[in-house]
Amino acid sequence: MKPVYVLGVGAHPWGKWPNKPQVALAVEALQAAFMDAGIGWPQVEGMVAASSRFEGGMGWGLHANEVVQTVSEQGIPCINVGGACAAGVIAFHTAWAMIASGQHDAVAVVGAERMPKGFIPRPPGSQDDISDSDYLRWVAMGATNPAYWALEAQRRFHEYGTTPETLALAAVQMRSNAAGNPYARYREPLTVAEVLASPMVSDPLHLLQICPVSDGAAALVLGSERFLAHVDRDPVQVAGCAVGSGQFGDPARRIPTIANNVLPGVAHTSEVVGAVSRALKMAGMGPRDVDILEMADNSAWHLLAWPELFGIVEPGQSDWMLARGRYARDGDLALNPGGGFLSFGEATTAQAVLQLCELTWQLRGEAEGRQVAGAKVGLSAVLGLGANGGSVVLKR
Amino acid sequence: MMHEAKSFVVDGLMAEGSEGVRLCASSCGGCGSVYFPRTVSCRNPDCSSTSLEEKLLEGRGILYSYTIQRYQPPNLFRIDNWEPYALGLVDLPEGIRVMGMLSGFDLDNIRIGETVKLISECLFTDPDRGKVMTYKFAPEITGRDAQ
Ligand SMILES: [Zn+2]
Repeated sequence: MKPVYVLGVGAHPWGKWPNKPQVALAVEALQAAFMDAGIGWPQVEGMVAASSRFEGGMGWGLHANEVVQTVSEQGIPCINVGGACAAGVIAFHTAWAMIASGQHDAVAVVGAERMPKGFIPRPPGSQDDISDSDYLRWVAMGATNPAYWALEAQRRFHEYGTTPETLALAAVQMRSNAAGNPYARYREPLTVAEVLASPMVSDPLHLLQICPVSDGAAALVLGSERFLAHVDRDPVQVAGCAVGSGQFGDPARRIPTIANNVLPGVAHTSEVVGAVSRALKMAGMGPRDVDILEMADNSAWHLLAWPELFGIVEPGQSDWMLARGRYARDGDLALNPGGGFLSFGEATTAQAVLQLCELTWQLRGEAEGRQVAGAKVGLSAVLGLGANGGSVVLKR
Repeated sequence: MMHEAKSFVVDGLMAEGSEGVRLCASSCGGCGSVYFPRTVSCRNPDCSSTSLEEKLLEGRGILYSYTIQRYQPPNLFRIDNWEPYALGLVDLPEGIRVMGMLSGFDLDNIRIGETVKLISECLFTDPDRGKVMTYKFAPEITGRDAQ
């Protein structure tokens, strides 16, 4: 395989943008990424979009086609990939493979989303019967997504003695990280007392410990070594890149299922753990080589659990790490130094692309207001509906 | 006594016999894995069996975790007289962990590790369907009997 580099990155700030269509968010992010890479549309040989069933994409999730038909009809391959919240990393993985295989020298990746208000509606044509877990979990027990995360968090309280204060501190840390990040939507500082005073949604998770939804867009351009010679930029290299699905026997409470087979020795959240482990292996690295972890914090619980699942720290050690500032930007592991999903609000398909933009800014030393000093290795990790996991290792 | 119309919230989810409510599951003839709800194939990657049998689960198990839903879920979840309720995660002896509503617990005093039993309770009453029932888990000792 040929080496692959991140040539340029760009994003549209997260928020609520009722006057900008999804394609406008996408185009702004792409233009920023092209400018960053020092290239233009003529050099782009392919477009991979993280696509969803939400607004945009002609109703069919054809987000890449929509972008080129809006901006530059130049005959390039348009690939639209699904994967729910993991779609962004699957798009990245696809573009990486297009270059690593030698087929192309520069491919753009984009994720742009305008999220529906309130609960995400069921798609048209859904089977309203027992074959559909998403139907079952609503009608038979009213299980919301936060309820799934809360079941995990409550179990953690039981197993490791995690306290409400520590869980609140995870949310406080994310806000503190976001304070200087112009792309984050929520930047006001929080205190543990404020988090604990926010409404209880699903015990033990309070409102401020659950990721809201936002609109946003992120893009990047990947390129080969040959292309690298034409751009004036410090190279950030894709050292490892993997996507995967779940393992039988995984004990995680997987949304939207209502039951799972639990077998000893199977990794929790195996779709993500498997992807992380393969991405690190490809990079020739171990979990402790990671300087920055950009991970999907759909809830505060994830911030404690995932570094343990990846083997960066021992099981149960995250509480201690967090409380002692070892997950802060100047700690042993910089955990979501840009503020994470909790400070952005999730724009599903754009989120995993943004993670990789953030890692690139960090590795180049360009993460103004949130820079991790001297970072050399960044790891991303994300989970999507349908047991989709993905992970990328970037290095400089 | 008048017979009262009754139905289950989703067809094929649960069954009620003389011994009470049961969960409708599948059991693999090859590896013995049990699936709830019923499925069309064993998903154990080490098993190539294509024979699945129907199996009813008694639903007695150990509470693995729980949460309390403080806000009313969206409309797809239909319930009469909504108030905050507990959801539990229960380890069944068949090797599966099943999520369901809890009943008969003091919301401030739910203990992980407690033994629970399966019951059925009315979620809402509908003019066409009568009492629409779902399954729940209740404390084995002090729980209310199935309605
Ligand atoms: Zn089997």
